[in-house]
Formats: sequence, C-alpha cells, structure tokens
Amino acid sequence: MKVSVVRGGGLAGITTRTELSTSALAEADARTLAEKVRAAALRESRPEAGGPAGPDRTLYEVVIDDSGSVVRSRFTDDDLPESVRRLVEWVDARPERSHTRER
Amino acid sequence: MPTTSTPRRTPRRTPCSIAPPDLLARVARQGTPEQRDAALAALAASASMRTQRSLLSRMRLELGAETANLFAGLEGASPTRRQTVYDNESQGRSGLPGTRKRGEDEPPVDDPSVNSAYDGTAATYDLLQQVFGRDSLDGAGMELISSVHYGVNFDNAFWNGAQMVYGDGSGQLFVKGALVQALDVVGHELFHGVTSFTADLTYSKQSGALNEHFSDVFGSLVKQRHLDQTVDEADWLIGAGTLVPSMGKALRSMSEPGTAYDGDRQPADMAHYVDLPDDNDPRNDNGGVHTNSGIPNRAFYLVATALGGHAWETAGAIWYRTVTERLGSLAQFSDAAAQTMDVASSFGDAERAAVEKAWREVGVLT
Repeated sequence: MKVSVVRGGGLAGITTRTELSTSALAEADARTLAEKVRAAALRESRPEAGGPAGPDRTLYEVVIDDSGSVVRSRFTDDDLPESVRRLVEWVDARPERSHTRER
Repeated sequence: MPTTSTPRRTPRRTPCSIAPPDLLARVARQGTPEQRDAALAALAASASMRTQRSLLSRMRLELGAETANLFAGLEGASPTRRQTVYDNESQGRSGLPGTRKRGEDEPPVDDPSVNSAYDGTAATYDLLQQVFGRDSLDGAGMELISSVHYGVNFDNAFWNGAQMVYGDGSGQLFVKGALVQALDVVGHELFHGVTSFTADLTYSKQSGALNEHFSDVFGSLVKQRHLDQTVDEADWLIGAGTLVPSMGKALRSMSEPGTAYDGDRQPADMAHYVDLPDDNDPRNDNGGVHTNSGIPNRAFYLVATALGGHAWETAGAIWYRTVTERLGSLAQFSDAAAQTMDVASSFGDAERAAVEKAWREVGVLT
C-alpha cells in the first residue's frame, strides 16, 4: 500500500508531494500505517466538490493506492478530519517517506 | 458609491454649517491650515450621516499624517488596539485558540513566536489605524486573536475568518519558526480579514488573485512602514527568508513576478496569464490565485515607484480606498484598474496618470 499526500494552496501556492509505502517500512510500522489508513476512512472525492476555499487554506489530496485500488480524497484546512490529520502527520514524521515539489 | 454632494439634513452651528460637504472637502484640501481645520470640524459635526463619515475617512487619506491628531480629536474616542496571543500547542483546529500567552500591553514572554505574532499584529493594526483610519480588521475595533505553534510542523499560516493561525513550518518547505517572524506574512494574512469585511473578493481565479494581491500590497506596506523604507529602499518581496534556502529567496516578488523561487510561475503581465481551473485540486490553487496576483502586484509596484516616497502614503491610500469602498466580490483585474484610476483622480492628475500607465504596462488596459 502506498500513501501519497499532495499539498497546495496555502500562503505560498507551492505544491508538494509526500509519499510513503508499506514496503519501505518494518512490519510493525506497516501495520500501524494500515491501521491509520483504516481509521481515516477515506472516500473518493467528487472532482467538483466544495465551493470557494477560504484564503490561504492548505489544499490536501490524500491518495491511497492499495494493490491498484485507488481512493483519492481532497480536503482543506477547514474540513480536514482529525483522523486524516493524524495519518498525514504520521507519514510526515517517518524518515522513510519521500518529499518532493510538484511542478 | 456615496456621493460628495448629498446635502446635510441637520445643519449644526459650525463655522461652515451652511456649506455642502463637497465644498468643505475642497476647503480642507486647498485652504490655509486654519480654513482646513474649520472645514474638517464642520464635516465632523455632521458625521453621523454615512456620506460625511465616508468623506471624512477619505479626507484623512488625502491629507495624510499631518492631520492624524486632528482627525483623532474630531472622530471621538481614540481607537484602541486589542489583541491576545495563544499557544495552540500542536493541537490544530480542534484546539483553537489554545493557552493564553500574551495580551495587549503585556510584556514579552519567553516564546519568540508569541512575541513575533504580537509585534506583527501590532504593526498591522497600527498601519490600518494610523495611516488609513481603520479601527482593526472590521473597522469597529475587533480584538485580534493569534494562535502560534498550530498543528505539527504545519507549513502554513492563515486568517481563518475569526483569528490568525501560524504553523511552525516543517523545515522542508518553510524554515522552522520563520512564518510568524515575517511582518509582511502577518500583514498579508490579517489583510485577508479586512478584505472579507469589505470587498469580500471571491477566492477563485481573478477575484481570488485580487484578494491575494491586496494582501500582498498591505503586507508589504506593513513591512515597509515598520522599516521606514521609501519605495526605492523596499525589497518588494513577500516572505523573504521564510522558504528553506534551497527553494528560493521569497514567496513572491512584486517588482519582478516569477523570480522569487525556483519554479515561481507568477506572470508579470496579462500576456502570460496562467489560466488554471478552479476545482479542488491542490495543484490548481483555486484557479491560480497565488499565480496571477503577480500582474496586479507589479501594477502596484509601478505606481508606487512612479510616485516615489513612502508607498503607503499615496499608492497605498489609493489601493486602500479601492478595496474597502469600490470593489464587489466578483471584481476582475479590469475593475481594479478602472476603480484605482478613478480613486487616483481625487489625488491629482499625476497620480491618475501613473495608475493608468501601470495598468497599461501590465496589459490589463489595452
């Protein structure tokens, strides 16, 4: 399973991508990641969902690729669920994760 | 728009009580100091009418710092800055505002982020109040609430509609602790509050880029005024030093859009406008609001440098009146051009010409 977090908007308007695969993790950590993904209960977002965001909110796209089954969910700082925030913060804190700029 | 020719319904006994407001305004602009003070007093005496209040506010902008004390006396009790800074202690949205750390007039604490939030908020309030006569973001003295240490390594800062939140930064995008230390970032975010109470520019495509633009303008003016910089001394950068050095020098350049960091796509003119969809894709940034703001940003820079001196005195006053009095929520770049030119006319022919030239140079006027 791979977790990708794309973040854009914010006060900078700069887009970044953070990725972490269970294959890069020790077994116990991989289990923890899978548990956090389950707890986040992510659902596919409709592409047109949501009205205009508030100024400078971070815009999130969280993608779970579980053996080719892909769920893509989008949030802003105003509606990011606590369970998703905990997942994102856990991924951010892992030394195995990659962090890159998007275009 | 309020006009300047509405007759007063309840004349008061003042030296100029029979004069219409537009005549009083002319006397205030062109008369001797004594005539000016009498004319302003006459206007203030009937300032309960909305038209006169608006005119008084306008006269304050046009007459500048020399008359600040006079206006404070005319308009009643002095506005009072009120603010409180909290520590969110990494709790994020559910933990706002957090633990109270410092209130107005309280001494510095041992947390530099708290003190930076306090100082940046104070500098922003003071620009609004002392230069533009605005009592806080809502114009009615609202308390300014800030929470620092928001979330965990959070790479952002924003006005959430009720208060400021500042993340510490991750060290991957933003230097840790840098966002709240940047006066122009603080001013930028707080000015989103002013815009929400006035033009309320919809945060999408061109109206969203204008929303961003006005925040960049007044964020930069907070910094320039704090440093007492003339237009030639200012760096015209937004958030200089906040990005990790490998990313670039700043978030935006108002003088040279597109040069602030590696990958900066800001256009400097309409020929290079970046048309992005407004969907919920983080890559598209609400339809390029932080991208196309480069175009009006450069227009403001061109006006300010053409007029010289301190940018907040004339260019800033024109832009302030435009966003607080002239624009609607769906305003486009062409509306901003037309309204800034019209406002500039009341400052003089040279001012209007400078504004028109700038909008032509960035291709908004053709």
